[in-house]
Amino acid sequence: MIGILFRRTFQANRVRIIACVIGLVVWGAVLPLVYAGFGQTIGAFIRNSNNPLMEQFASFGGGDLFSLAGAIALGFIHPIAIALLGVMVVGFPILSIVGERQRGTLEVLLARPISRHALLLVLFCVGALSLALLVAAQLTASVVSAAFSGVLDELHVGNIPLVWAMGTLLSVALMAIAFGASVSFDRVMPALGVTLVFVLVSYLLEVVGSIWPAAAWVSDFSLFHYVRTKELLDGQLRLFDVGLLGGVLGIALLYSWIVFPRRDIAAPS
Amino acid sequence: MPVIRTSGLGKHYPMGAWPARRGTPVRALEALDVEVMPGEIFGFLGPNGAGKSTTIRIMLGFLHPTSGSASILGHDVVRDGLAIRKRVGYLPGGISLYDSMTGNGLLDYLAGLYGRPAPLRASLIERLELSEADLKRPVRDYSRGMRQKMGIIQALQHDPELAILDEPTEGLDPLMQHAFLALLDERRQAGRTLFFSSHVLSEVERVCDRVAIIRRGKLVAMSSVATLLARRRRHVEARIEGAMPDLTGVPGVSAVDIRDGVLRCDLEGDVGPFLAVLSAATVRDLTIEPARLEEAFLEYYAPDAADAAAARAS
Repeated sequence: MIGILFRRTFQANRVRIIACVIGLVVWGAVLPLVYAGFGQTIGAFIRNSNNPLMEQFASFGGGDLFSLAGAIALGFIHPIAIALLGVMVVGFPILSIVGERQRGTLEVLLARPISRHALLLVLFCVGALSLALLVAAQLTASVVSAAFSGVLDELHVGNIPLVWAMGTLLSVALMAIAFGASVSFDRVMPALGVTLVFVLVSYLLEVVGSIWPAAAWVSDFSLFHYVRTKELLDGQLRLFDVGLLGGVLGIALLYSWIVFPRRDIAAPS
Repeated sequence: MPVIRTSGLGKHYPMGAWPARRGTPVRALEALDVEVMPGEIFGFLGPNGAGKSTTIRIMLGFLHPTSGSASILGHDVVRDGLAIRKRVGYLPGGISLYDSMTGNGLLDYLAGLYGRPAPLRASLIERLELSEADLKRPVRDYSRGMRQKMGIIQALQHDPELAILDEPTEGLDPLMQHAFLALLDERRQAGRTLFFSSHVLSEVERVCDRVAIIRRGKLVAMSSVATLLARRRRHVEARIEGAMPDLTGVPGVSAVDIRDGVLRCDLEGDVGPFLAVLSAATVRDLTIEPARLEEAFLEYYAPDAADAAAARAS
């Protein structure tokens, strides 16, 4: 029964997943190409301008265009990548629980001998696997693009799995927060609103902290801050970052695990 | 052992999301005591908002009761939800289906989640007149009636011991309603129990063994359809020649009106004593309106008459 539910959930989301994979592959390939084509020129121009403000703005979210590692890091934190991942990070958990509850299909599903814990676990696994696939697609495209552009020797390819693992961990932690919101409301809009506010504020804090040195401390309050892509590509993994993201994931999942079976399933609207 | 047993079952909803703003809770269901026996077709009646769907949703574990208890097939609805849902089929009111799936795909999927075969599917499809071509189309193309048929099939295809059906004939044309009621009859003959809520009193009258009527979350009557009909008032009109009979003290007779040789009155319960008195007179014509469940139902729902009707029933 769980296998049937798992397969069906993947099937129902396959178009979304494929579209996001294509988008992230294209996006993942673009920045190494840009770096190979113009990175050195742009870097030299900014450095020669003697304008610290310009240099700060060029280091958006811990990424830049002056190095291959920086370009990959920029690709990770860029709004395009966040929006594409957001389809599964936010959209999937919201649609699959509170969305189905509002449509009335959740009660058709839960009228079968499936516990709410089993459903939550299946949805979480499908979401986590999809996100692992999406992050892998973006990184693979970046590596292939770097090789195609002849700059692959600037990259420690052996450290790419670290970036993949931490990128997936961040995405899954944010998805777990979205699941928490999804099990807490009877209607889509409040659940979507709470999740988007959390993700966008977290993102904003990281961006502001990265481009404004006086406010660098605010990025400590952003989950995005704890995926330090450039450091990871240099092989530096901070256990604190893993613990923090893992802790957020665990707490959010535990919350859903406790709340979902105790909530009344409201009549569909 | 009853298939369904509720004891003092209640559900209250808090008013307002924040504790500081909470007012008097909405009492959706209060102290409901219902027993449904194996092999029965049990009708659950009440207008919109009476608490029918709340009761059903508690039985299936979608809502948590705030007081009392309920058991289905011997399992507690709060603790043993999985064991209950393995043996129950459910048709929600105004069912929603996965629109992107084909009819066949949807039925396969929903049957697969029970982890057992669907022996009744073929016959249900045939009886409800769905064609193979229909079942190959996506559900989003289905009309309301076809969706309802799919809802009925998914609820019954695995031959559940108990089927809980919320407004099952909603959206079906009269022919399909007829076919559906025949289906229910067959399921009863096969020893299955059916619990269904409805607004359509004629269908309840036709197929149900017993009914419960709820009003504002409270049970106001529960009895066999025959008992309910026997209890309700019939309108009597008799054209009499000569002396009028004296109906004073005849049990069940009320609202006597004699004018121009025509006796009109209401008659409740056993007709025997009334006919015995009437036989002494010269009766030229006699009309006793047949008791209809609709009137019994309305009697329970007239705002002032409800309590009196409930008192009479008890």
